[in-house]
Amino acid sequence: MNRITLLAVPALGFLAILYALPLLMLLAKSVSTADGLSLAEYRSFFADEHNMRVIWRTLRVAALTTLLALVIAYPTAFAMSRAKGPWLTVYLVAMVLPMSLGVVVKAFAWSILFRANGALNDALQWLGLIERPVRMLFTETALVVGAANVFLPFMVLPIYAVVRQLDARLPEAAASLGATPMFRFFNVTLPLTLPGVVAGSAFTFSLAVSMYVIPSLIVGERQQTMSMLIARSFLYLRNEPLGSTISAVLLAIAVAVVVLSSIAARRLGARQ
Amino acid sequence: MTTFTRRSLLKTSALAAAGTLATPALLRAQSTELVIGCAGSHTAWMEAIVIPHMKAAIGADILFEGTKSSVNLEKMASNKDAPYLSVVQMDDPVMIQAVEADLLTPISEEAVPNRADLRPDAVHMEGMWCNYVQPWAGVAYNTDFADGVPSWEALWAPEAAGQVIIPSLQNTEGMWTLFVAAMLGSGKPFSEAQYEIDAAFAKLEELKPNLLSVYSTMSQAFNLLEQGEISMLAGNFSSYTLPRKAEGVPVDLAAPKEGIFAMPSGICLVKGGPNPELAAAYVNEMLGAKMQAEIADFASSVPANTTVTAGAVIPEGVQIYSPDWAFVAANRRDWIERFDKLMAL
Repeated sequence: MNRITLLAVPALGFLAILYALPLLMLLAKSVSTADGLSLAEYRSFFADEHNMRVIWRTLRVAALTTLLALVIAYPTAFAMSRAKGPWLTVYLVAMVLPMSLGVVVKAFAWSILFRANGALNDALQWLGLIERPVRMLFTETALVVGAANVFLPFMVLPIYAVVRQLDARLPEAAASLGATPMFRFFNVTLPLTLPGVVAGSAFTFSLAVSMYVIPSLIVGERQQTMSMLIARSFLYLRNEPLGSTISAVLLAIAVAVVVLSSIAARRLGARQ
Repeated sequence: MTTFTRRSLLKTSALAAAGTLATPALLRAQSTELVIGCAGSHTAWMEAIVIPHMKAAIGADILFEGTKSSVNLEKMASNKDAPYLSVVQMDDPVMIQAVEADLLTPISEEAVPNRADLRPDAVHMEGMWCNYVQPWAGVAYNTDFADGVPSWEALWAPEAAGQVIIPSLQNTEGMWTLFVAAMLGSGKPFSEAQYEIDAAFAKLEELKPNLLSVYSTMSQAFNLLEQGEISMLAGNFSSYTLPRKAEGVPVDLAAPKEGIFAMPSGICLVKGGPNPELAAAYVNEMLGAKMQAEIADFASSVPANTTVTAGAVIPEGVQIYSPDWAFVAANRRDWIERFDKLMAL
């Protein structure tokens, strides 16, 4: 083991004790029954239509959150990459500072924004887009908007890191050869920034698929997600095998996303 | 330039890891510290009344963790071999589960003399836990929308569409809507209706068009009531609504004609918990006249100590119910699953 590898020992030890070991115990619990090893808990979980709806909702919300965050983050990353001096500091602080604010506080702020006589409904009515207040609280739309707000920095920063290193002469070279702005974006800029997009999407999706506090506060118990089912299983039903099973399913989804995005990023990197 | 060897790096890492892991235990080793598990809604009076009193009366430094009763139970069960909570204040149905899991130690009159002054019905299972103060629960409403809620049927009224939030059955106060639905659905008196769970769920299904949401975090739902986003919050209790009303917020707590409920606020000693003598002294103070009067007044609750005359005034002319908590404890898990599936969008 060389000296540089040794530097990773504390982090690896920390992860082994506080992450890998509990995870193994969790997985073991999901297949342990009084009669030995069994997948009965998994069969029972997947046989329940309610659980399938919860999985679908969890994936849908995570995908929409990732998409919304990407739409907002992509131009933001370009604006940051072009910013100079104090403006760059302003952008970075604006990105990072909201992370210090608790989700509970943000949820209360959103409830003021989204309520029937809230700022958003008032603005839409003032603009003539709606005649009467529309229900926004406790909707999936509110959840996606709220979650994208919380996870936005995790999308912006990886894209910004890639965009910052983009060689500005490449689009210029394409332009000099007669490429239109649209052609330059889709054939030069976008492919070069895709590794950042993939990394940001993987971060955001992984966080969104496993979020617990945000849906608990924004949509309540009527639109449960997998994390809410896990909490319910451990804390209220006191059914550890069920909680472990749902945790394992959620983990499998998150791992699949990370692995697939890593493969995608590597292929995209190789193509360039 | 600073150099490091493999040995010194490993030694430093090991010391740092051990220090990080040991720090909480070292901090908790202080002899005057007591960690109390309680409800999040207790925060106001725990900070204003209990913490200063306990420091002055028994020299205890109180740390409290405010959360749901079932979460407190999970903390106790998960740390059964090395408890860090000394005392827990949680609801009766969860106390029953804690007794079944062998997590409690009895509150004896020798260690806690003030137990002798409690109403007999406030001492459970030979002192495994006691009720200290009990708020009453009804329907919280926004006074800008209505002058009162004369009947629980108002929750089901067509004009309340999208205007109601009810608690999840994960929360103890969620049981009140279930039992009211049982009474209204079966047409039977409470003593019989509390066992008519199929009728309760059938009636709850009729409530769905009126629901804006089902909460497991009460403060946010109450905030929406205060803002006028909803007109009624079912199952809320005097210790939360009435202090807010006293502060000038446009809310009030109704005692509908069908009856109201006694919140089952209990206190217990954790088996094998740290500082057992100080923990017993804490419980003794909580059951004593001074604390009972102050908390009951502050939180609009009914004291359990018979020598205390302060506290909430129970609304006249309505029945106050206390359900069969053993039946609740035995069936609650199934009810939670059934409720979640019924209410899911």
